[in-house]
Amino acid sequence: MAQYLTRNALDPAQRELQTALRAGAYLGFKQALSLPPQEVVAEIDASGLRGRGGAGFPTGRKWSFIHAKEGQTVYLLCNADESEPGTFKDHYLIERDPHLVLEGVAIGAYAIGAHRAYIYMRGEYASLAETLAAALREAMAADIIGPNCMNSGYDLRITIQLGAGAYICGEETGLIQSLEGRRAYPRVRPPFPAVHGFLQEPTVVNNVETLACAARIMAEGAEAFKDHGTGRSAGTKLISVSGAVERPGVYEVELGYPLMEFLQGEAGGIRGGRGLKAIIPGGTSVPVLTAEEAAPLTIDYESMQSAGTMLGSGGMIVFGDDTSMPQALLRIAEFYAHESCGECTPCREGTGWMAWVLRRLLAGEGRPGDLGLLLRVGDNIEGRTICGLGDASVQPVRSFIRKFRPEFEALLPEPVQAVAWQSHGHGPRTGRFGPPAEEATRSEAVDGPPTAAL
Amino acid sequence: MLSKDALREIEAARAEEDSPRHALLTALRVTQGERRQVGPEEITYIADLLGLSPALVQGVARFYDQISATPTGQHVLSLCRGISCYLCGADEVAAAVGELLEIRPGETTADGRFTLRLVECVGDCDRAPAAMVDDRFVGPVAAVAIDNLTKM
Ligand SMILES: Cc1cc2nc3c(=O)[nH]c(=O)nc-3n(C[C@H](O)[C@H](O)[C@H](O)COP(=O)(O)O)c2cc1C
Ligand code: SF4
Ligand code: FES
Repeated sequence: MAQYLTRNALDPAQRELQTALRAGAYLGFKQALSLPPQEVVAEIDASGLRGRGGAGFPTGRKWSFIHAKEGQTVYLLCNADESEPGTFKDHYLIERDPHLVLEGVAIGAYAIGAHRAYIYMRGEYASLAETLAAALREAMAADIIGPNCMNSGYDLRITIQLGAGAYICGEETGLIQSLEGRRAYPRVRPPFPAVHGFLQEPTVVNNVETLACAARIMAEGAEAFKDHGTGRSAGTKLISVSGAVERPGVYEVELGYPLMEFLQGEAGGIRGGRGLKAIIPGGTSVPVLTAEEAAPLTIDYESMQSAGTMLGSGGMIVFGDDTSMPQALLRIAEFYAHESCGECTPCREGTGWMAWVLRRLLAGEGRPGDLGLLLRVGDNIEGRTICGLGDASVQPVRSFIRKFRPEFEALLPEPVQAVAWQSHGHGPRTGRFGPPAEEATRSEAVDGPPTAAL
Repeated sequence: MLSKDALREIEAARAEEDSPRHALLTALRVTQGERRQVGPEEITYIADLLGLSPALVQGVARFYDQISATPTGQHVLSLCRGISCYLCGADEVAAAVGELLEIRPGETTADGRFTLRLVECVGDCDRAPAAMVDDRFVGPVAAVAIDNLTKM
């Protein structure tokens, strides 16, 4: 287990400013303030830090996109919405080392020339918002954050905003819309937030962990960061592991760490000594891996990519060999159906349909073409939506069906001819085995999921 | 309709930006906290307070799961039905809790103390099956423990 970002997180006293200062808190901010902002951006760029919120976009590059004109207000928005199922690493960081998070926000803001920053937290993290707010009050009272931060002449105001329960507020433009007091309908890009973001002003949105990394990098240098990890995946990563493991929790690992070593070591192995069936490595929005596929992988961007999946948020969900994959997929599909914001038709309708078809399969009411139908609905969502939720909803459906096909096929009714033959002379079979083929085709086209499914 | 503290919190959010609309999210949260609902009356009130149209306020209010159109009980008991919690027996716990409280998800106990909700991943998956009583994380839960919680 690496100890770069989480070095101080095990000590509850870190929440208090005096303890945190003794452990080196805000030295990175101090260092940043001694440099012109462009040099801070250059340092982060040199570190190779990539966004930890899911997409892995290089942070230094993102910061360099901000070119504010006279009279514009630049905003830094820290994304603490953390709603990707299986992800709870930001929860850990905010709870255990709030000053590290605040320091990261302050550095990010300074680097892009922002004097205003918001930390947008999901509504369910209200108790964590109190921890963070207490830390912010302390940092303000000590003149570290506020007008004239640490006597540098730089002014910064940080505001904590709580959401009210909607996954889509984690999507960067959804977050911006929510913060503006609108329904969190994501925006069409371009224009990108760097040009027209919060209140149409130049804006950067960064994940909590990304900014925490920036704080360490400014304190200890880009080189020290690159000492961790692999060439293209620099640094460490917080992995939140949950599901069928003995020791679920948040662990910091070197990027490049062997996945199986992590599973058997940090995570304590599969619960109850069972076998491993599958792993979702980075939150439900990335394709699942079979145990066989997972075995040779390492925890980093390239290795995951080589296996056709993604490191994503680092929300690792582990499935034991007693799991019903169709049942598990239904739970995931229902999540996307519930959380689709409804702005674009393919996602709004498609996510509802995928959940609906899975539900009827599991209820023993599947129809012969249902697996093809599920995949087709997915194809019709992917690439045709405003934000990434639509694409994300397709990844689990497609990968579960492809990789665990026999389990899904077992839910299908007997072939139609067999049904017709068996039922000859006894009237049509009803209920469990579904309607005859012609009817199935027609009703597929007309009968949608009931509103409750949406 | 709202307490002085609540109004102060909304005013503070409003002072952050020139756009009064920015304070709407905070206004909805604060109102839900005090009134346990954001129904038609609350919507009109917030609209007046921020100088926004009631239709706009309603549109935003209905977007969020934590803002409810009808009154909740004194406390909201949220059980996570997310994938990680599902893998740790969340369905069984939810069924047992429903039986214990004699209500279904979305309903409120006869004495008005608890509203039961099934929610998506709450970001506490290492304490699965995760649950919250209002803003407090209380996982991992067993039905027995819930019995104690609801008796507090
Ligand atoms: C549907 C959806 C939900 C997202 N949820 C989150 C989230 O909860 N937290 C987060 O940091 N990023 C989330 N993202 C990614 C953000 O859009 C954005 O890329 C990220 O906050 C950028 O920060 P980073 O560059 O530091 O990673 C989400 C993206 C999508 C499409
Ligand atoms: S893809 Fe889905 S969640 Fe994203 S904007 Fe469209 S409807 Fe909303
Ligand atoms: S799945 Fe239940 S808290 Fe994440």
